[in-house]
Amino acid sequence: MTEAQSVGTERGRPGLPQLVAQRIKADGKWATLVWLHQQQRAQPGDVALRGYVEILRVTIVRDFLALATGMEAIPKLTADFLNDFNKFDLTAQEGYLISQIDGRTNIEKLLKVSPFDPFSTLFSLARMNNMRAIEISE
Amino acid sequence: MTLLAPALLDNLSIVIAVVTETGEVEYKNRLFDATFGPEAEQWIARAARTNVSGERGWLMPFFADPEMHDPVEAEFQDRTYSIQRLDVPFDTPQVALTFEDVTRQREMEQAKSDFTSMIVHDLRGPLSGIQGTLDFVLSSEDARIDPMHEELLLEASHESERMMGLINELLDFSKIESGNFEVENDPVYLAGILRRSVKSLQTVASRDNVHLLTGHGSDLPTIHGSAEKLTQAIINLVSNSVKFTPQNGLIVVGGRVDRNADGEDEIVVTVTDTGVGMTPEDLERIFQKYKQSKSKSIRGGSGTGLGLYIVKQIIEAHGGSVTVSSVHEVGTSMVLTLPIRRAA
Repeated sequence: MTEAQSVGTERGRPGLPQLVAQRIKADGKWATLVWLHQQQRAQPGDVALRGYVEILRVTIVRDFLALATGMEAIPKLTADFLNDFNKFDLTAQEGYLISQIDGRTNIEKLLKVSPFDPFSTLFSLARMNNMRAIEISE
Repeated sequence: MTLLAPALLDNLSIVIAVVTETGEVEYKNRLFDATFGPEAEQWIARAARTNVSGERGWLMPFFADPEMHDPVEAEFQDRTYSIQRLDVPFDTPQVALTFEDVTRQREMEQAKSDFTSMIVHDLRGPLSGIQGTLDFVLSSEDARIDPMHEELLLEASHESERMMGLINELLDFSKIESGNFEVENDPVYLAGILRRSVKSLQTVASRDNVHLLTGHGSDLPTIHGSAEKLTQAIINLVSNSVKFTPQNGLIVVGGRVDRNADGEDEIVVTVTDTGVGMTPEDLERIFQKYKQSKSKSIRGGSGTGLGLYIVKQIIEAHGGSVTVSSVHEVGTSMVLTLPIRRAA
């Protein structure tokens, strides 16, 4: 039985919250999120798994906002990104957002100009920060 | 029938009958006749058919679903009976049923519900007066109130708002319990409800240094139901999250169209926080009435323990479901699913 198959319905898996907590501790939030996405692909339509994915996404954004001075923090492009942007696997949304990063615009202003909802904009920024395409400075 | 011992069954204080799919009574114990009299067999025969208005008889679900063990309730000679399957195997389509007279129980519940409803209505009137007076004094430009007394008046205003919330919860609860809880079938623009709910709690969240964000587009399809009740459910979930989320935490109200396990499109709304989370024990009981999370509220204050129970009733009345996912000391996500119904 694969790990994905072993995750049943919410009622039948009292251990899933603990499993998620253990994975966060051992592998970090991003790796746990990837693992949860794998579980979701194995069990599309599982509502409880959706909830766990959301918890991870929201805590990742909370941590991102705590990095510097919250909404006033200014994202900048990294030297790594400027040297070879092709090696970064960005989504269309992330591609648009990175085009708005000029080293002067803070997160609050980026949220205002972004055509996407505030949370998915912040999540994209957090993902780009995690892959070192951008960095945050105060 | 060979598995049942008729002599033993005749001496039980439970009404028992074995009934066929067509509503014929194959066996009845002595108490059956003593309780129901001779007309009961016609009543059961009728229960095996769909009546002229298209309602299925109470006997039919027992044969439609052989695994059904939930009791059904039916009226006979002005009394209410709770009818439940007995686990007895038969070679032919038959079912062994027990009949319990629950008339008194239902009357007591109705009386309790009517009493709660009356008390709650009587409390709302004076409290509205108190709230109105406080709002008038606090918003009056001519009032000369020193900062200390203004703070006290604000506190009184917040507390009366909280009390009104508790009273409204009790009123909804009494409606649910009395079976008078119905939702409209109006077109509802859910994206607007989510946005307004976030906006209305933004001040409270900011006061507590908690970020509150929307995480949905404007393209959520219109559903059918009650805008008022759905707003109440979302506000309830978000204010609950505010209570359990520490400073610098984040709450996100998301929404998107998703495909469920049956391959049908539905709207999935999530209210997710980076709060204290719930223990596995909390997860088991969180939607039960009068039950509250054992995790301590960050902001203090307690409720009726009916909030999430009412949210569940509201969402289920819209044909949806509520699921909670939570990781202790990491966060909680309430996931609501709502079917996308087209206007008739």
